Amino acid sequence: MTVPVDIEGADDDLALAGELALRVLSPTEEAAARRREAAEPAFAAEVEAWNEHLAGIATTVVAVEPSAEVWPRIEAGVSMPAAANDNGRLAFWRTWAIGSSGLLAASLAAVVVLVAQPQPVPPAPTPTTTPALAVTRVATLTLENGAAAMTLAYDPVSGELYLAPTAEMAGDSRVPHLWLVMPEGAVQLVGAIDGSATSRHSLTRALTGAAGTANAVAVSMEAPGHTPAMNKPDGPVVASGELQRL
Amino acid sequence: MSAMLTRDELALALGRTAQGDRAAFRRVYEATSAKLLGVTLRILSDRQMAEDVLQDTYLTVWRKAESFDASRASPITWLVTIARNRAIDRLRSGAGFRKSTSIDEAFDIADDGPSPSQAVETGDDVRRLNDCLGQLDDRTGGAIRTAFLEGVTYDVLASRENVPLGTMKSWIRRGLLRLRTCLEP
Repeated sequence: MTVPVDIEGADDDLALAGELALRVLSPTEEAAARRREAAEPAFAAEVEAWNEHLAGIATTVVAVEPSAEVWPRIEAGVSMPAAANDNGRLAFWRTWAIGSSGLLAASLAAVVVLVAQPQPVPPAPTPTTTPALAVTRVATLTLENGAAAMTLAYDPVSGELYLAPTAEMAGDSRVPHLWLVMPEGAVQLVGAIDGSATSRHSLTRALTGAAGTANAVAVSMEAPGHTPAMNKPDGPVVASGELQRL
Repeated sequence: MSAMLTRDELALALGRTAQGDRAAFRRVYEATSAKLLGVTLRILSDRQMAEDVLQDTYLTVWRKAESFDASRASPITWLVTIARNRAIDRLRSGAGFRKSTSIDEAFDIADDGPSPSQAVETGDDVRRLNDCLGQLDDRTGGAIRTAFLEGVTYDVLASRENVPLGTMKSWIRRGLLRLRTCLEP
């Protein structure tokens, strides 16, 4: 980024935090700034301060009464896990669970509970006939709008990775790439993935170490035929999720 | 509708929402959904899409209400920020296809200050923001308002104003720093 000569150091960060809050940056610049926001509490506080200041501009927006059907849809959405099925999320879980081993299905069901109600996860039923998959990490990747984009399960013993995208991932001409997000905010490319069907991968030894310490995963959309650098996506990061230990 | 809640009442309702109180969640929705739909509609220019984003916004609010900290943010700001960011993400995901707006029209809308009838929530913070925005030159203040209200990037702003990208960046970065000095002297 070119920096005007009269804006340096602290001012530069202050302006960048403002640009991020205002959302004027290009996708690449924004992704870089988001990584700083995640890694640097002081910078994150600046972004928050800007959000607080700039939101005042919204007072000029004319309020528009939503249609009557919006609230019932929201109400259904918060009735998880029992009633909500109109956003396709539960349908996805069911479909996916059928195609999975009992242990994996049980693990993922536990994640649904975890997402729906922030309370201790009830013990998953012990599988009787399934082979031990030793799944210890799972993540639900969500789009910025909160919709589930993909479920990931990773077995650090075998290095095997399972990916189950939802319909949200389909119909994009760009190629989804999976990234590990390390605790300090750096990212590491895992590789191109299939956004249209469930897939299974074996991570190389070089990656299993990183996968063992990563605390989140993310998906960027890259131009067809393009492979980004190992440490930086070039396309927009569209989905992300925390890696949960089971 | 729009049961008016004071800032404290809204913060309290959000706190109860964080504990799973659906009645409180409904009060938050009734007091703020029209404002938030205004925000998402302005960015997306499509009622259906704006309402979809509104739905996502409140589902996020339900899930993340516990991260709202009344000592650090105003509740309406917190809600507007979520709705605006969701709408911008939708706009840029390609799923949101915005009807093109002419430059003049866009800047005419964007340059509107708060009219008395709309500025129901205007507190000291907002008055100060508008004073400080008013101290910037018109094109810079206008560009910052447009960026906020329409969720557009430097690229779009530069091509609308027909200036080089670097010029638009420079206007806004300097404008933001002046704004910050004015807001927090």
